[in-house]
Amino acid sequence: LQVLMEAWEKGVNPEGNSTNPSNWDFSNSFFFAGTVVTTIGYGNLSPSTVAGQIFCVFYALFGVPLNLAFLNQLGKALNAHLLTLERWVQKPGRAQVKCQFTILAIFLTTGTLLFLVFPPLVFSYVEGWSYGEGFYFTFITLSTIGFGDYVVGTNPNKHYIPVYRSLTAIWIVFGLAWLALVFNVGADLMERYLQLKWHKSDLSLAEGDTTKLEDEPEQPRIHIPS
Amino acid sequence: VLLAAYVGYLGLGAAVLQALERPAEVQAAQHLLREHWELLANHTCLQGPALQRLIEGIIQAYKSGITLQGNTTSLGRWDFSGSFFFSISTITTIGYGNLSPSTATGRIFCIVFALFGIPLNLVLLNEIGQLMLLGVQHCARHLEVVCHWQNKASFLMKTCALVTGLLLFLLLPPLLFSDKEGWSYEEGFYYSFITLSTIGFGDYVIGMNPDRTYPSWYKNVISLWILFGMAWLALVIKFCINILE
Repeated sequence: LQVLMEAWEKGVNPEGNSTNPSNWDFSNSFFFAGTVVTTIGYGNLSPSTVAGQIFCVFYALFGVPLNLAFLNQLGKALNAHLLTLERWVQKPGRAQVKCQFTILAIFLTTGTLLFLVFPPLVFSYVEGWSYGEGFYFTFITLSTIGFGDYVVGTNPNKHYIPVYRSLTAIWIVFGLAWLALVFNVGADLMERYLQLKWHKSDLSLAEGDTTKLEDEPEQPRIHIPS
Repeated sequence: VLLAAYVGYLGLGAAVLQALERPAEVQAAQHLLREHWELLANHTCLQGPALQRLIEGIIQAYKSGITLQGNTTSLGRWDFSGSFFFSISTITTIGYGNLSPSTATGRIFCIVFALFGIPLNLVLLNEIGQLMLLGVQHCARHLEVVCHWQNKASFLMKTCALVTGLLLFLLLPPLLFSDKEGWSYEEGFYYSFITLSTIGFGDYVIGMNPDRTYPSWYKNVISLWILFGMAWLALVIKFCINILE
């Protein structure tokens, strides 16, 4: 039992036979680095050597802010694209906010389909999970909770293409960026809507509104993760 | 450029971790294999497939949170205290995973719980952070009045707050952990950092050792530490990002 536990902690999967692919080869370590930097932290795999643990701490110290800055940039860039889209439809005051709401709604639905509804299908097919389990995994991952009870690419009885985990990592990054953008735009819109409600219909306000559009928010409004 | 730095950073981490962890993994795998064959060889009544099934069962049990190294399997991890700690690990997005819902209803509840709990947690952390910031600024203003320093007071207070926070949240708790959990200082520090950054691997979790007795205040104090430590760390990261920009 003790040997089993020890092996499990070091990343060896005792369920397979002796020709298991390593859990610490480059592709899987890349995936692991991604889970550290995004603070998902599954934990099914974690450094067991002292050097590895210390490295992990300092790696995360610089990696987590880097990840936040990256997601922030991605979110801002996507937001800018959304704004140019909005500018095609120029309508004053209330109608513009309505228009923005519709665009946001479309954006939300596409994103939900792409990141929350569709991937579980892929996962349940590749991993042999039920759709519910796939959805549970998707949600726990994108919220960066990352329990680690379900992790892609860890079943020793299945054959995965070598880049499977890396592709999943890319999906995670984009999913997180989408979530960050949703929060950003949502908070932005809420602010504008509240402003519009407090100051009644006013022509000077419409001009003030368009200048607000071009202003970039002062502080990064990314709140995930913390 | 940021994209390139990001991917490069991931690659760097991957390479280093691979170099550090792979040898240990290989060694452990060989050890396991030797033990496996020895067991089968020494006890001829034991058969390969049966042993394999047992191993799978053990791994499943381990995954669902049962500790196996005592005489009896330790139950009662989903008592109120354990479940409370689980709720904390969920809404703070730490997500240890040593304990996770296995029933379908439990999982659905977990998802809904997190959906509302995470924003709630963020709002609370923000508030705590603001309070801390106000406290620091208050002290800085006090110092300015008393000592007639201008910009230096605020800088001094911020460094002071940083150092106090560092001591309180990262450097001193590992001592408590080594006393109560029997970890080394380095393991305690590793656990503190992984928890406060919300990465939360779950390879180390407090209060999970069935051979130890914990005082009744232990888990509550740790929960408070997690809350304030996360708020402090979030402030620090915000400052770092501001300075970078």
